[in-house]
Amino acid sequence: MQRETWINLAILLGLILVPLWAVVMDEPFTITLTTKVVILALAGVGLNIALGYGGLVSFGHAAFFGVGGYAMGVLASHAQSYTPMQIGALEVEGTKSMLIIWAVAIVFSGITALFIGALSLRTSGVYFIMITLAFGQMLYYFAISWPAYGGEDGLSIYVRNGFPGLNTLDPIQFYCICFVLLCAALLVSARLSSSSFGLALHGARQNAERLEAVGVRPFKLRLTAFVISGMITGLAGALFADLNRFVSPTMFSWHTSGEIMIFVILGGVGRLFGPVVGAALFILLEHWLGGISDFWQFYLGLILLAVVLFARGGVIGTLAGREVAHD
Amino acid sequence: MTDTVLSVTNLSKFFGALKASDNVNIDLHAGEIHALIGPNGAGKSTLIKQIAGGMRPDKGEVILNGQDISALDTAARARLGLARSFQVSSVAAEFTVLQNVVLAVQGHQNLGMWRAALRKTAFSDQALGFIARAGLAGREAIRASDLSHGERRRLELAMALALRPKVFLLDEPMAGVGLEGSADMTALLDDLRHEAPILLVEHDMDAVFSLADRISVLVYGRIIATGAVDDIRNDLEVQRAYLGDDA
Repeated sequence: MQRETWINLAILLGLILVPLWAVVMDEPFTITLTTKVVILALAGVGLNIALGYGGLVSFGHAAFFGVGGYAMGVLASHAQSYTPMQIGALEVEGTKSMLIIWAVAIVFSGITALFIGALSLRTSGVYFIMITLAFGQMLYYFAISWPAYGGEDGLSIYVRNGFPGLNTLDPIQFYCICFVLLCAALLVSARLSSSSFGLALHGARQNAERLEAVGVRPFKLRLTAFVISGMITGLAGALFADLNRFVSPTMFSWHTSGEIMIFVILGGVGRLFGPVVGAALFILLEHWLGGISDFWQFYLGLILLAVVLFARGGVIGTLAGREVAHD
Repeated sequence: MTDTVLSVTNLSKFFGALKASDNVNIDLHAGEIHALIGPNGAGKSTLIKQIAGGMRPDKGEVILNGQDISALDTAARARLGLARSFQVSSVAAEFTVLQNVVLAVQGHQNLGMWRAALRKTAFSDQALGFIARAGLAGREAIRASDLSHGERRRLELAMALALRPKVFLLDEPMAGVGLEGSADMTALLDDLRHEAPILLVEHDMDAVFSLADRISVLVYGRIIATGAVDDIRNDLEVQRAYLGDDA
């Protein structure tokens, strides 16, 4: 097996052992922290498909994270207030079922990604970055001025949504749900990367002109990747909202887009487990450095600078070496 | 009558006052190598680009096997079998030789999202065949960025073969391959003509004279002569344009 596979397995093992240890030691906060890592890693796995595989530097992935979050917030708030949603002449009940909320989050973030992607993928480079950023900010300001769902103050959901057969208020059970979803997303990401579609997508990143010369149009390919990427990040948004039992416009803000991007860059752009390592490192640094200094983000910036300058492949790249051409 | 596979008629492209292609007519018959020569800046690569679909001509038509393909984009033309190599070799540098060729093999098929591309034996077997044909057997697992310049040229040809070509558009395949490489490449091109006819842009005159069935000479975007090798070699206008007035 390649070294990267061993590293990936070690990371997975860590994500199993740390919460187990926390259960044994009765440290619910550690479980919550690990849950946060897993959810943010999921958002990063989504972005990694666009950024890492497709080379699409999206600075607007908070849009999908937020859409997922608000899908949960809107549905759950109607369910907790027992008031149906009024969509035209249609009355739609809210729901506290995670499964339905995830489906809605995935579908809506997919549609949003299709719309944003169809417009922004006609540009490239810095224009693509700016357009995706602009879309993210549009949704941010929309959410701020949406009084029905809390406007600037956001929306609190009092009880975590339900999952058949599990008590989601128990931290370890909610963690297990998130962990399984992360593993599923990693599996999708891995298969996608090595598939014919993935080969063409990686090819489009390296040399779009060559791809066209062998009969493939990069636009459709990138749009598909962008939508899949948005859907995964949207699912992460729904879980994140459920973790905090709170949604606010911050989920849409460019800070969030930047953070998701940091997970990917820190861990290793285009590496399967890059976003997982990145998210873990980010949360650990936020936790530890945050305890030492109020200016922890300054030190995070220094670390990010060091990674970009001296470890171009991120943490995984440094540990595993140059990416081996996979089959 | 010879079978015309590709014909370019009255093709023109202007950049302001500059005539990059000026009413160009050129055709390619089955089984032949038609060389396109001309001094630097004559518009050879611009012409290839317009035939391949990377650049829209201001007027004129490109006909492939009787079908007008002028309105099609590069990808659609590639799917019809217009296979090209680039002046500066253009491959996916992070990919291995095999990955590059599989990319071309699967190019015009439905791109599955689940099964690993290289595990599809149909793809890999075909790709290995093209790699061997292009003289890169044994180099399948080497990254394209680690190949020598000449090998990268061969990789482009393997990818062109993978398109099931009807026509090869080769833009300076000998450039930078060295003396020995040039002889090997000449032999390879001579073999490829049995696969599909070749429109060859080339500066290496020894290769052109030994390979070409016909030669067209492009000067300032205009074709000043088309004919058999000896006719072109002895054409005074060509000598003047190509070698200077003291020729």
